[in-house]
Amino acid sequence: MTRLFEHYDAGPERFFDEVISKEGSPRGHYEKMMRRFSQLSVEDIRARRQLMNIFFRNQGITFTVYGVDEGIERIFPFDLIPRIIPSPEWETIERGLVQRITALNEFLSDIYHDQKILKDKVIPPELVLGSKHFRREFVGVRPPLGVYIHVTGSDIIRDDSGKFLVLEDNLRTPSGVSYMLQNRQAMKRAFPVLFDLYKVRPIDNYPQQLLRTLQEISPTPKAEPKVVVLTPGIYNSAYFEHSYLAQQMGVQLTEGRDLVVNNNKVYTRTTRGLQRVDVIYRRVDDDFLDPLVFRPDSKLGVAGLINAYRKGNVALANAIGTGVADDKVIYSFVPDIIRYYLGEDPIIDNVETWLASNPKHLKYILENLESLVVKAANESGGYGMLVGPHSTLEEREKFAEMIVANPRNYIAQPTISLSRHPSFFNDSEIAPCHIDLRPYVLYGKSPSIVPGGLTRVALKRGSLVVNSSQGGGSKDTWVIDI
Amino acid sequence: MLSRVAESLFWMSRYFERAENTARFLDVNFNLLLDLNNIAVVDHPNYWSPLIMVMADPKDFSRHYQEYNAHNVTDYLVFNRQNSSSIISSIGMARENARSIIESISSEMWEQVNNLYHYLQSVTPQQVHNDPYIFYKEIKNASHLFQGITDNTFSRNEGWDFVQIGKYLERADNSARLIDVKYHMLMPKRGQHLDLVKNSVDIIQWMAVLKSCSALEAFRKVYLSKIDPDNILRFLILDRTFPRSITFSICAAEEALWRISGSSRHRYVNNVDRLIGKMDAELSYTTVEDIHQQGVHQFLEDIENGLIRIGEQLHLLFFAYHTPKIEPTDASEGLTFTGMAGGRANWSQSQQQQQQ
Repeated sequence: MTRLFEHYDAGPERFFDEVISKEGSPRGHYEKMMRRFSQLSVEDIRARRQLMNIFFRNQGITFTVYGVDEGIERIFPFDLIPRIIPSPEWETIERGLVQRITALNEFLSDIYHDQKILKDKVIPPELVLGSKHFRREFVGVRPPLGVYIHVTGSDIIRDDSGKFLVLEDNLRTPSGVSYMLQNRQAMKRAFPVLFDLYKVRPIDNYPQQLLRTLQEISPTPKAEPKVVVLTPGIYNSAYFEHSYLAQQMGVQLTEGRDLVVNNNKVYTRTTRGLQRVDVIYRRVDDDFLDPLVFRPDSKLGVAGLINAYRKGNVALANAIGTGVADDKVIYSFVPDIIRYYLGEDPIIDNVETWLASNPKHLKYILENLESLVVKAANESGGYGMLVGPHSTLEEREKFAEMIVANPRNYIAQPTISLSRHPSFFNDSEIAPCHIDLRPYVLYGKSPSIVPGGLTRVALKRGSLVVNSSQGGGSKDTWVIDI
Repeated sequence: MLSRVAESLFWMSRYFERAENTARFLDVNFNLLLDLNNIAVVDHPNYWSPLIMVMADPKDFSRHYQEYNAHNVTDYLVFNRQNSSSIISSIGMARENARSIIESISSEMWEQVNNLYHYLQSVTPQQVHNDPYIFYKEIKNASHLFQGITDNTFSRNEGWDFVQIGKYLERADNSARLIDVKYHMLMPKRGQHLDLVKNSVDIIQWMAVLKSCSALEAFRKVYLSKIDPDNILRFLILDRTFPRSITFSICAAEEALWRISGSSRHRYVNNVDRLIGKMDAELSYTTVEDIHQQGVHQFLEDIENGLIRIGEQLHLLFFAYHTPKIEPTDASEGLTFTGMAGGRANWSQSQQQQQQ
């Protein structure tokens, strides 16, 4: 019987280990947990993990992998060793994200109205106006409360010195919050004892907070504004999350065909006729929302929805056109955006970024492809990406061609040594795996964050990509009071 | 309640009931073989083809298999995914419907559908052949558990009523088909007097029909041991207290409909109410003699067609709200709706949504 952690090796110093300090001893906030886990064997962990997998499978907590005919349902791998964030660190993250989201909202409001930031030449106008997600149609439309980004999830990483950095912002339809909630449930089942050892801040009220945020943006003041969730349907990979959130909030989960627009007002089709809708938490992309305005072949949307929105008869969360601010090119300007609107320095820095559209940067990118990570400006989920150190010559040549052909669409960043965390690897050993963190920010009358987030972990050996579509898993994330 | 949700509740329930009935028919047939082993040749097509006639389409069966025997019929009715009425397809559809309304049903209900689905994925045909009793029992119990869970965790609102309608319309339909086929089999000559059907093989077969509806014990309490075809028809078609009889099922569906539309006996407010009320009234004033006069087959076929019309009207009235263009293409097929109409069309686009 092998004791856990007996052979754990935090590895080379170029990675920051979340649990083990450079001196080789556990960090203070991990001590109690380490002691507990050291009493367990690999077999114990494996048995509990199997239990958890059955728990997830029976509840249908799965996601769908694309590219297979029927779609294969997979369990999002769950790692039983929780990630712990002590409250002082968390408070920095919290302040940093509130600052960032407030500034990004100001930015969206500005570019869809006066465009002062462009006139002041802080950002080259062509980069904003030429962005794939800039919606010309919405210039001058003011969403309720002036808020555009009601639900966001920015990805935060730690570099080799342990410093927090924002890797990217997700301002359209960030997913994963249901895993955050389910991971906590699973953890309570698997290791109830651990919760006695720490004061873990609760996250279970996220659905109530989400509902409150959505009700706050109702365009018509009512005691109980009617909120619905709009899903692309059961074949969407995040369908479980859509249904879970609707169920937890106690609101209806709708598909496009359940909604109808009449006289610029939105209704649900029910067995007893039409019922008015005030707020739509939509998990359908802009392009598919309304066949009359965007893609005419969309079967997921609602004809007339956009006009109802423009008339102020319904609120959409998130607003339309928010993607322009999470464009990876615009990302590189976020520190400037924070300084411009708030007059403050960013609390959490960006990862250093080169823009292929800038000729000097382009030269640097092409010369250093081998050490850089190249990303398409508008892709997500780990698609359309080149990880230089892990690439073949052929792949690099292909990317070089694509970058030169369309420089606006590419950015490059140094290959960040994401911090590592002990994880149950390969069902057989505890090994250091790279992790990131996605906290969820809600923004109605004011921004707020539930203490925690989704910690994603790369469970392929040496892999730096934590996306679920690329073999990543997740951990429960504890913010603890110390 | 969203029309789509109502429709999925209806079909979820219907498919579950269908799977249970298929399991019942197969189970009883296996038992029958054991009973008859000494008296007759049992792995004979005559014992297996009726099952296909009850639950599926013989033409489609012939496309997949050469002959009617235990192995082929089991394979087709349990495991064949191309057969939309097979147990595995039915539970797949029940689950798909449940998944599309996962936030509207209780999580216990969902877990139960999901459990059965995963159980079916793990069972091999060999296991079923080795121990059919255990397998069919598992399916029946899973269905009973699902209904029990539904009874105890699902609010008594419109949604519950749609679940009831789905269950009882399917049950009435399945019972009618079963009686129809068995009667046809056991009454080979037209005009033959019923008293003549007395030999032991037939008695055992009639008992099997009762067993497949879990009706043998209930039947005995009413008719003692007089296993006679008229009594059986009376019991399975006209009994108002036995929960798998046609009349009971129709009445249960009718009551659920009354709750939805706010109507009551003798007063209908829509076409579904009217059609099902009419059927209830007809059954209430029918005797076995009347059934014989009309012909058993004709009588049961009228019921099956009546049920199809009720299903169509239900669809138009509650599910296809504002989209009357989704109409049945061929009423004679009966089971054309699946509850997932339009769902598949969204398949590729719903996958294209970017996951951030």
